[in-house]
Amino acid sequence: MSTNDPSYTRDIIRNFINRSINIDRLRDDENLFESGIVNSLFAVQLTTFVERKFGVEIGMEDLDIENFKSVSATAEFVARKSALRAS
Amino acid sequence: MNMFLTAEQTERYGEFQEFAAANVEPFAGEWDRAQQIPDSAVSQMARAGYLGANIPIEYGGKGWDMVTFGLLNEALGRCDSAFTGILTVQSMISAALVKWGSNEQCRRWLPPLATGETVGAFALTEPGVGSDIQSMSTEFRRNDQGDGLILSGEKKWITNGQRAGLILVFGKLEQKPLACLVPRASDGIEIEPIKDLLGFRAAGLARLVFHDVPIPAANVVGKPGFALSHVAPIGLQYGRISTACSALGLLRACFEESTDYAASRKVAGQRVGDLGMIQSMIASMAADLEAARLLCWSACRAEDDHLPESFTRTFIAKYFASRAVVRAASDAVQIHGAAGCHDSSPVPRFYRGAKIMEIIEGSTQVHEFVLAKGFVDDALRRQQRRAGLETS
Repeated sequence: MSTNDPSYTRDIIRNFINRSINIDRLRDDENLFESGIVNSLFAVQLTTFVERKFGVEIGMEDLDIENFKSVSATAEFVARKSALRAS
Repeated sequence: MNMFLTAEQTERYGEFQEFAAANVEPFAGEWDRAQQIPDSAVSQMARAGYLGANIPIEYGGKGWDMVTFGLLNEALGRCDSAFTGILTVQSMISAALVKWGSNEQCRRWLPPLATGETVGAFALTEPGVGSDIQSMSTEFRRNDQGDGLILSGEKKWITNGQRAGLILVFGKLEQKPLACLVPRASDGIEIEPIKDLLGFRAAGLARLVFHDVPIPAANVVGKPGFALSHVAPIGLQYGRISTACSALGLLRACFEESTDYAASRKVAGQRVGDLGMIQSMIASMAADLEAARLLCWSACRAEDDHLPESFTRTFIAKYFASRAVVRAASDAVQIHGAAGCHDSSPVPRFYRGAKIMEIIEGSTQVHEFVLAKGFVDDALRRQQRRAGLETS
């Protein structure tokens, strides 16, 4: 399994969020911040987790809430960064 | 404790304790009275590499894990909270830079921070704004040339503000939170030492006033709008862990001084430690010490393992250790009696310093609010979700 497999990436991210907020059956397109599922402290934890788990570096230019607003958005961000790293 | 540490962490902890016993403990009382830590003492900490504890090796730092960083804070905190405060803020500004600094900022600032050539400060608190940081009034505005910013406003209770060569200042640019690196040498900075604190007297606290200070655009850390959601939390996480572990060290100091006194002091032919009332205080102190130790290492490990609960564990560790040390310091004075009320003993300094632990890096009440709100909100979300799933 790798970040080339979107469902694998989504599973990992969903599990991390579920564990963080002790909630199950989170929809992949659910906006984490607008719905109040997570708070601002969680935003920085999510970026740190993504960096470590998927080996991508999140820099100043990536600081955009759109990149991390949902499970799907975060998985797509990981895929884009992984593709850049591989190229 | 050792069962939770690697051999390398255990060895380093021994080194930290030796350093603190030789270079900090004998002088802490003198520094407290002078309300100042001499440059030579800070240089010793720098030469040991401690000011670069959390800075990556590639920038000249030690690159230590959070457990090792916690052990360093515990060992130094055992001897002097104020001295440890320098390390706290150095780690806060360094962590924010490592995570969100540009390549140019990291190359320029991390090496001197790692060697201690530059000592930092983290300027978030304002005269009218403590934990409610969203309400800060410090302002950045664009200069007329459009190639930089102008900073105006006031920060207060800034640890190491008297000494810092580089300050990470938080303010707002067009209503968006912004963090900027501000060298001390910049024009328009007024630094007013804050003296006569209850404790933490040698930590070099200052009031900083910024009178239209020119800031190059290259000094912005992160992006406008992300200073409070992303930049500050990285630094504050280090600040809380450092403070929790420093409080743990101070708690150990109270315990060790109290047990030594109870073992040697006699009243009416009886050892103080044989008196039931004293035994009760010592037993309580020992239980608090062990609990605080486990909570601190749990928080450090969670951070090293990047666990989702790392922020919560850190809040709990800081909340518990800072309250426990206040109880322990109060009991330490009680056990020492009149001797614990005089400057010839370190115990009064412990007592004054302990209370500061409950205030800095978020007061006890802020920790209660954040923790309780988080747990109740979690429960509410689970209930709402269950209800939604049942009706769908």
